[in-house]
This record gives sequence, structure tokens and C-alpha cells, in this order.
Amino acid sequence: MSNLYQPTVMRIASARDEAPEIRTFRLEFTDDQYKQDFYKKYRVGMFGLYGLPGAGESTFCVASPPTRTDYIECTFRRTGRVTAALQDREAGQTITFRGPYGNSFPIDQWKGRNIIFIAGGIALPPVRSVIWNVLDRRSEFGKVTIVYGARTVADLVYKDELAQWEAMDDVELITTVDPGGETADWKGKIGFVPTVVKDSAPSPEDCVAVVCGPPIMIKFTLPVLTDLGFAAGDIFTTLENRMKCGIGKCGRCNVGSLYVCKDGPVFTVEQVGKMPQGDL
Amino acid sequence: MKTLEATKLADLAAALTAAGYRVIAPCQRGDQVHLECYQAGKTLRADVIPVNSAKDALFPRSEVIGRYRFEGNEFETVPVAPQAGKTVLLAVRPCDAAALAPLDAVFNWDYKDEFYNAHRDATTVVALACTAADDQCFCTSVGGSPDSTANADAVLRPADGGKRFILESLTDKGQAIAAAGQAVLTEGQAQADPPAQVAPAFDSAAVTAWAKDGFDSPLWKELSLACMGCGACAYTCPTCHCFDIQDEATRREGVRLRNWDACGFGLFTKHAGGHNPRHDQASRWRQRVMHKFAYFPERFEMLACTGCGRCGRLCGNGMSIREVCSQIEQAAQAGVK
Amino acid sequence: MVANINEIQSAAAALLNEGKVKLVLGYRVRGNDRVPAFVTQADQVGCLAYDSACTQNLAAYLRKGEVRSRMPLAVVARPEVMRSLMLLTAESQIAEGQVTVLAVDEQGFHGVLDLAGTAKLLNEQYARIAPDSSLMEQLAKIEAMTPQERSAFWSEQFEPCTRCYACRAACPGCFCERCIVEMNTPQWISTAAESHGNFAWHMIRAFHQAGRCVECGACQDACPQGIPLMLLNHFIAREVEREFDARNGYDPQAEPVIGSWKQDDKQEYIR
Repeated sequence: MSNLYQPTVMRIASARDEAPEIRTFRLEFTDDQYKQDFYKKYRVGMFGLYGLPGAGESTFCVASPPTRTDYIECTFRRTGRVTAALQDREAGQTITFRGPYGNSFPIDQWKGRNIIFIAGGIALPPVRSVIWNVLDRRSEFGKVTIVYGARTVADLVYKDELAQWEAMDDVELITTVDPGGETADWKGKIGFVPTVVKDSAPSPEDCVAVVCGPPIMIKFTLPVLTDLGFAAGDIFTTLENRMKCGIGKCGRCNVGSLYVCKDGPVFTVEQVGKMPQGDL
Repeated sequence: MKTLEATKLADLAAALTAAGYRVIAPCQRGDQVHLECYQAGKTLRADVIPVNSAKDALFPRSEVIGRYRFEGNEFETVPVAPQAGKTVLLAVRPCDAAALAPLDAVFNWDYKDEFYNAHRDATTVVALACTAADDQCFCTSVGGSPDSTANADAVLRPADGGKRFILESLTDKGQAIAAAGQAVLTEGQAQADPPAQVAPAFDSAAVTAWAKDGFDSPLWKELSLACMGCGACAYTCPTCHCFDIQDEATRREGVRLRNWDACGFGLFTKHAGGHNPRHDQASRWRQRVMHKFAYFPERFEMLACTGCGRCGRLCGNGMSIREVCSQIEQAAQAGVK
Repeated sequence: MVANINEIQSAAAALLNEGKVKLVLGYRVRGNDRVPAFVTQADQVGCLAYDSACTQNLAAYLRKGEVRSRMPLAVVARPEVMRSLMLLTAESQIAEGQVTVLAVDEQGFHGVLDLAGTAKLLNEQYARIAPDSSLMEQLAKIEAMTPQERSAFWSEQFEPCTRCYACRAACPGCFCERCIVEMNTPQWISTAAESHGNFAWHMIRAFHQAGRCVECGACQDACPQGIPLMLLNHFIAREVEREFDARNGYDPQAEPVIGSWKQDDKQEYIR
């Protein structure tokens, strides 16, 4: 038995600002054993506890796919003490990491199927790792569609990668910003994500959907998908409950008898529907 | 059989202390009785249920789980091992011993928690059978009994009208206690006193059954009106195990601490972004009851309540899980959702 | 039980029947305990009880959303609870018309009052509530200690504190939406239930009660660990009275002792 709460030290290989108060770190392992153990366990959708001694730890997904084995990435918003302390770190400095924890997107079961990714705002990171995982294994999957929206153009994250996806022949990318959030040279759509999904009317035929975003976006997007004919078991999302331990002990992420940190964070909408809704 | 004069409980504590045990026993503290580390001169009280539970010894209210040092802008993490000395829980009630089952379950169901297990392995449980109960006790309603030996390594049974105890060893760890305390124990005969009468307060199966579909019941608002959202019930509860992780540091060094936390606090589930799934006290109180009587049984096949009655006894606002469960049972009988 | 408990019950029933209140906050008997009763129907008033064992300060419920949403309400209030209501009025937490008082003391029921009437009764009948003599004796002992002894005394008292915050929950004056102990940027007070954090918590809470604590004793009663919080509270209240000639919870228009200043304050630094 070892100390489950002992984190490993990661070096920040590079840091970039994505959008106001949103920052991405590319992190390299300083401990080879931890790195090996990490990649043995890591599947796309899992999360970690990123920390800075003295400030504490915070939970974010691993935003890079298991197909990238030199580094992991995380993208997060400045919301409190820990995220503020982390964002103040620069390339070359270190932070701590524990993980990977939780379950994953069953992408091996999606082989040969079409996939539509729908994300809003800061919720692109968990989806982005799945997108790259799928794109790194492109031939195994059918049609790939990405719908991504943010409040304003400035709030869009991974702008370079949006351009890359845009340029790919075998990816359909639809970007949108809320009305009033556009700039003069904005070439994407203007409108809320649920509306854009509705207008683009993706076929549910042999298709799975991955939906991550603010609760309000999810609330209005799910009925659109249902109306289009998507089955609740084919729509995947992640729950963002508050967590402290990440390993099924501290009780904070409990929803009903579930530990979101162990049984999740990835759930189908069918599974979410069976949870006590008032605790979500 | 081995017996111990009732007046010699402190002598047994002293003998075990001399044998190298950290002895956690019911000690007089002001007007109250606390389970705390025995030291010479402390008065032991076997006649009152202590205000705090035995979990404190296995899952301390604040425990160091990490260390680090700072050097300029950089830091270095320092390995931490559990500080778990040989411990005996002396004269703890069967309801406290029963609580080790849910604690064992949660700290081992998937990942094994090194800190909890180190304390657990180093601990010997000497239960004290209850020959008296108060109006908050309800062990018999949640599958326990006043003379249960579940999870105990040894048991002290009051005998001969309270004049002495019979010490019964149940495990090797228990034998070791009998051996270490030999000097104050007597070989002889004694008649065990009858266990306390703990009248059933409610049918826990009925509560669990109602709770399965009871999440959206309007009853929760009424049942929780008196609750003011402190952690007194959770912190004195022998099974509550939620915790927080907090860093405390100076400029040079710091620790990462595991501190108790409670689902009754408003901030427990509040996201950094502002959303709070359990936004009112009714939803937090519901979580407390549902966790003990529905969710935990669903997950671990046991209740997370042992009927010790502390929550009702100590609540400054008159909340009582015993009373609430009775009210739920009545609602279930009346067909109220 | 007080002799005229029936009068409390009928007054409560009348208030509910006439639609003057939606809720009566009172006490009921549960075994050996006295616990709060939330009475919303006139036919339930029979459970209402009052005796000297009813020590919980029901004014604390006035910060709870689920209770506030049932205003206007009536509250069974002994003199200390009435003083809490005066404090809450002075600090803009409640207003006339929201809370009706069912005034009680150990002798019994003294009628239905609005907040203005409560202020009058308090100042006429209860202007001097004699402090508990044993409290005074203990305090005298503590004051006779050397600073080292005193520090050791308090460390010993705070040692069992688990930081359950039952003291805060029981206190009508603790109505902050976000308590200082929950502020973490920076972390003002350690949240670990250990010596320095416990010391800081209780001392800072005591200071936040300076000029506000009405010495109802609810925090000490609520403390599962038996920490003698009233020693601190009484000490601070006495200092406030001595330094500012202020007794907390008598004047519904009172300016906060610590949160206000005057041109003629005697300290130089304030000017």
C-alpha cells in the first residue's frame, strides 16, 4: 500500500493563454515510473488532480489523448485559489499531478461509427482529447463532426487547433458564437449551440454524440439530439462535480450511490437520466 | 474467566499504556465524557456514551497526508507515512465498533487508503457491552444490539450488578490485551448483567424502501426545517467519513491535510463556478439520510448508521435522525411519497 | 412547564387563524429534550411548550431561507432572544412587520408584541440581566492567571474543538453569507481542527461578536464538545460595556459598536 495522495511532480514544458483567464499547460513527467504507470492506465476521458503545494489541488480532465505519449495537457479557467496559483506558473516551473482517475469514453466500441462532438466554452478540453484520440486513429471511425461554440470569439479556446480541424477534409467543423459575440472578420456561425446543432441536423444514423458544456447548453442541446433521433445511450457527457480525493473516498462528488470520480466522469445521457436530478 | 473490578478500569488503561499501547478510552472531561488518550490521573467513565465516536482514532479529524518544502519559486514534495502507533480502543460501545464495517468498506472498496488502514491495523477494539441505554439509542433499529461483538477483538461485559467486568477475548489482538493487562485482571467467576433494553425506534428496511423513490418527496423540507447546517452530527457520527483536503504552508514549508468535512455544510458541493447542486438545507439533510439508509446500502450492502444516537443527543437544533427515520416510516405506512 | 402555557398556545392559534403570521417558531418537548417546533396550522399549537430548559435561540432561524420564506412569522422569545431580535433589527436583518414576538420568561407568557413593543418591554423589564455568578467566578480565576497560564487554559479548552461550527449555526448574530473561516484567498483561519486553527477560530468569532453578542448561551449549549464559549462572550460583552457604555440588543436603532465611529471618539488614531 502506498500514499494515494502523494502527487508526482510535472514540469511545465509550455504554457499558453487560450482566452481570458483560460490557460493551457503542456506538462512533462519528471518521474519515469509514474509516467509508465500513467500510460498503462490512461484512457481518454479520465481526469487528474493538478496542484501546487501551498495552494492545493484542483480537478481537470486530461486534455490530451493517450495517443500523445510525450506529454499531457490541461486547460483550465481561473476560478479560485488553486486555479489562480496554477495559472501564475510559467514554462520551466513545476506543478503536481495525481492520476489518471475515473472512467473513460468507450471509443473502442465506436469503431466504424460516425461521431459528432458538441462543446461549449471551456468544456472543449474534455472533448478535445477525444477528438484528437479519434483523429490520431482516423481510419477506425466514420464521419467526424465538431460543433463548438463560445460566448464571444475571444472566448474560443484552442484557436490553432480549430484552424487545423477546419483544414482537414475528413472533419466537419462548425464554430459559433453567441449573438453579439462576433467580430467583424468572424466567419463562423452566430447563434447558440443548441440552435446550430438543430440547423445542421446531423444524422443519428450509426452515430454517437459527445456533449460537454455549461449546464444550460446541455439542457437545451439534449432535446435537440433526442428529436433528431439520437438514443440516450448514444449520447455521452462528463459530469463536473466538485471533487477532493478523486479516488472514491471523500464523498464530495456523490450523486445517489455513485462516485462521479470512480463511476464517472463519463456517463451516457441514459445513465444521467437515472440519477437523482436534484443533486446534479 | 477473566474479570476486572469495575473500579479498576483505569488500572487496566494504565497497564495497557505501560505495555506500549495508546489507550483511547472514555475519559471525564468537564461535565462530559470524551473518548481520548488515557493519561494517569484521568477518570474513566463506563456509564456514559462519550460525545465523540471511536472513528477519531482511525480517521483523525485532521491528518497530514503530504509535505513539501519551498525553495524560491520551486518546491519539493516530501514523502509522508501514516503515524499509526499501537492503539487500543478501550471500552467503546458496540455501536462504535459496528461503525468500523462501513469505514472499512469505504476506505478499501477500490483504492486502499493507506492512512486509514495503518490506523486500523494498529488498533485493537475492546468493546463494552451496554447494560443501559438512553432515549436516543436505537442500535436495534439498524441491525445492531447492545451486546454485539461485531468488529471487536475483546469485549468487556458488566457483571454482578456492575461491580466488575468479564473480559472476553475474541481474537489474537484481544488475547494480547488480556495478556498485557494480566496484572489487574482476576481469574474467577462472575454473572454477566443483562444487556440494555433498546426498544426498536423504526424499521430501517421501511426507511430504505421509502427512500428509493423518496428523493423528490416534499417531506424533506419539513423534516429538515430545524437543521441549521453545522457539522455536529457528522463529526460525532461514528460512520460519517467525508473529508476535505487543505494545504497549510509558511514561506518555507507546508503540509497537505485531510480534514473532516460534512455534507450539511452549504459549501460542501458548491462548484468554484458558483453552481451548487445541493443549494438548500433540505437537499443537504436529504443527502445525509439517503446516504446512510439508501445510497450506502445500495453500494456497500450495509447501512451507514449504527444507532449510537449521538446526532440526536448533541444537535443544538433538535434534529434527530432517529426521529426523522420514525417520521419517514410513518409516512411510508401512510402511503405518503 | 410555565403555568400559562395555554395562553402561548391560544395566542399562537389566534395569530395563525387571523393570518397575521404564516409560521410560529416555538418549542416542543421530545423526551427529555426541548426542540424547535414549526407550527403552521392553528390545530397544531398544542405541541407548543415553554420552560427554562428551552435554551435554543430561535432567532437564529431568521437567517435560514426556508424559514424566511414563511414570513411574517411569530417567535417564542425569552429576553435574550428578544435582544437578538433587536440586534437583527439594528443590523437590518429583519424589519417591523416580519416578526411578531410571543414574549416569555421563566414566569410565563407576557403577551404578543411587535418589535417596537419588544424594545419597550426589554428596556422596562429586563434592562439588567444579572450575569451567571459561576461565570463571573470562573472569569475572575482566568483574569488572575498569568498570560502564559491563560494561553494554556484556552488551548486546553479549544483542544477538543472539531470545527463543526455548531456554535456559529446556533448563533443569531452569525448571519454572514460567507463566514471568514470560509474565505480562502487568502486563507485567514486554518480550517484544520488543531491548536492554532482552533484558537484563531474561537478568538476571531469572539471578536466578531464584540458589541453584538446578547449572551443567550446558545453557542455553548450547541457545542458538542463542551467548550465554555460563554466565558469568552461574557468577557467581551463586559469590555464593550465598560469601554463603550453599550449593552447589546436593547436598542433596535443602535449603531454597531465596532463598525461605527464618532468625531468625539476618545482614541486619537480614529481622527
